[in-house]
Amino acid sequence: MKITITDVHKRYGDVVALDGPSFEIPSGSTFGVLGTNGAGKTTLFELLVGHDRPDSGRIEVGGVDVERAGHRVRERVAFLPEHAGFPPAMTGREVLSVHARIRGIAAREERIDDALETVGLTDAADRAVSGYSNGMGRRLGLASALLAEPPVLVLDEPTAGLDPRGVATFHRIIERIDRETDATVVLSSHVLGEVERLCDSVAILEDGELRAVGSVDELRTAGDGRVTVAVRPSADRDRTRLLETAQRYGDVTETAGEIAVACERDAALELCAAFESDLVDRFEVREPGLEAAFHEALEREESEPENSPDEIAGATEVST
Amino acid sequence: MTDRKRTATDEQTPKPDGGYASATDAELSRASDSGIWYRQLLVVAETEYRLAVRGRWAVALTAIFAAFALGLTTFSGSSVGPEGFERTVASLAVLAVYLVPLVALAFGYDAVVGREENGWLHALFALPVERAWIVVGTALGRAVVLASATVVGFGIAGGFLLWEFGLAGFDAYVTFLLASVGLGLVFLAVGVLVSTLAREKTHALGISLLVWAWFVLVHDLLGLGLVAAFDLSAGAVSAMLLANPTGIFRALVLGALGAAGDAGFATVLAESGLSTGVLVGALVAWIVVPIALAAFAIRRRRL
Repeated sequence: MKITITDVHKRYGDVVALDGPSFEIPSGSTFGVLGTNGAGKTTLFELLVGHDRPDSGRIEVGGVDVERAGHRVRERVAFLPEHAGFPPAMTGREVLSVHARIRGIAAREERIDDALETVGLTDAADRAVSGYSNGMGRRLGLASALLAEPPVLVLDEPTAGLDPRGVATFHRIIERIDRETDATVVLSSHVLGEVERLCDSVAILEDGELRAVGSVDELRTAGDGRVTVAVRPSADRDRTRLLETAQRYGDVTETAGEIAVACERDAALELCAAFESDLVDRFEVREPGLEAAFHEALEREESEPENSPDEIAGATEVST
Repeated sequence: MTDRKRTATDEQTPKPDGGYASATDAELSRASDSGIWYRQLLVVAETEYRLAVRGRWAVALTAIFAAFALGLTTFSGSSVGPEGFERTVASLAVLAVYLVPLVALAFGYDAVVGREENGWLHALFALPVERAWIVVGTALGRAVVLASATVVGFGIAGGFLLWEFGLAGFDAYVTFLLASVGLGLVFLAVGVLVSTLAREKTHALGISLLVWAWFVLVHDLLGLGLVAAFDLSAGAVSAMLLANPTGIFRALVLGALGAAGDAGFATVLAESGLSTGVLVGALVAWIVVPIALAAFAIRRRRL
């Protein structure tokens, strides 16, 4: 089921949460929404699932205007909120039973068993939620979303707070959903590798604006092919010397104590040799990828091209 | 999973853009299985009831009411006969004015904000159900627990009273019991409203205690002071009575007992001339209005 977001604006008091992003999420795709904290990801999801209304603009799910559908849009959009939790005294099966009854699902037991099996909670189904790990709780949340057999599945930071094993399990489940169903999966994440692994297409938001949108492959190769050499000075006093060296080889940016130099591959080798090793605490060469595209998009001040109707059409064409 | 795939495709027709033709706005607005609001309401209420029972709230509330009521009836030392019965029930009414609102607020203050803190509200809001029904269902589920606890807790004491004093006071005691249930539901409703408006559980608890202090301690004293200081009209006195559910409760109980003496502001109230119907209507309004306000406020709540 295709999702269309058109020039959506949303403010909370003086804070601009969304500033006119427009893009399409193709039917059946797994779509990632990337952005820093406060970029507008959660607001976008809240509007998408009918929790709030945009000040202007339009969101359509399968041709239906979300604003007009109200809470009924969640009949077709299953949502796993970031902070979803469950009463500790209930068992996993009871939680799913409540959700199934509210949704009016027929053949409840069969559907519950199916959802539990999908997320790997069959053995723990009759245990109290209080005994669940964080990862099991997230999987129970996903099971409740899957109960509806939704054409659209919206997952807000689904792996936040999970340990590596929990993340890997969650990834396998999402890949299975992608493989075995026609559901359109929309997920937000801070973890670029996760989005790169799971998603077909990505939108990058910053300050409520759409900074980039397209397929993962397209964004990954959209840059200039330069690698990034990232170094962290051993001590603050070494920063100036490192910066002076770095500036001779490429474009330098500084973020959270890290000096990143975007340069040609050959220049990177020379740069590595030029750095005095005792001045550098950590050293890393990053290949061009989604991370580079992400940082490039964040640094871009003007985002009009992504918001133009032509660009939206282009993104759709790329993704389908 | 195979079934999932079949369902997703069978109900939708492929379109040239690669998407799927699906339900239109009009089709979506038609009543569907999940759109039956009263069933959703009952599921939420039943879940809340089960959680309260499982969390031992039902037993705890019943035990509190029974212990206080039995203690008072056992040690009241009233003489055998109609007068003794009336005095004991009047004493129980005074006890109920302090105890029932406190217990109801303690039971209701975390109904919404507490569910938000453990994430259950987020999970419910993700379902295709009006937020208002979640609040009303939550209040309904807790109301059943509180009402049952009140009836059983005070009912045990009532059984002893009727055994001691005979069946003559049965009607009056039933009135006391029902009014206590009503009083509890009022403060539960107020607790749910506070819980809906508060951003944190501690805030809800603090506000609930202030609400209790206002209605149980301050309002009565203020009313007595105003009546003593000014020559208030009957309308003003009636308005003051209706503005405090504990006053309504006392007026109902004392009216049923035919006694107006030594009950503070209620002595004044008994002379206000308000009919039982008006008092019951006011008590019902005190239940309905906070719940309605909570149902409205929850729509604006950001999680």
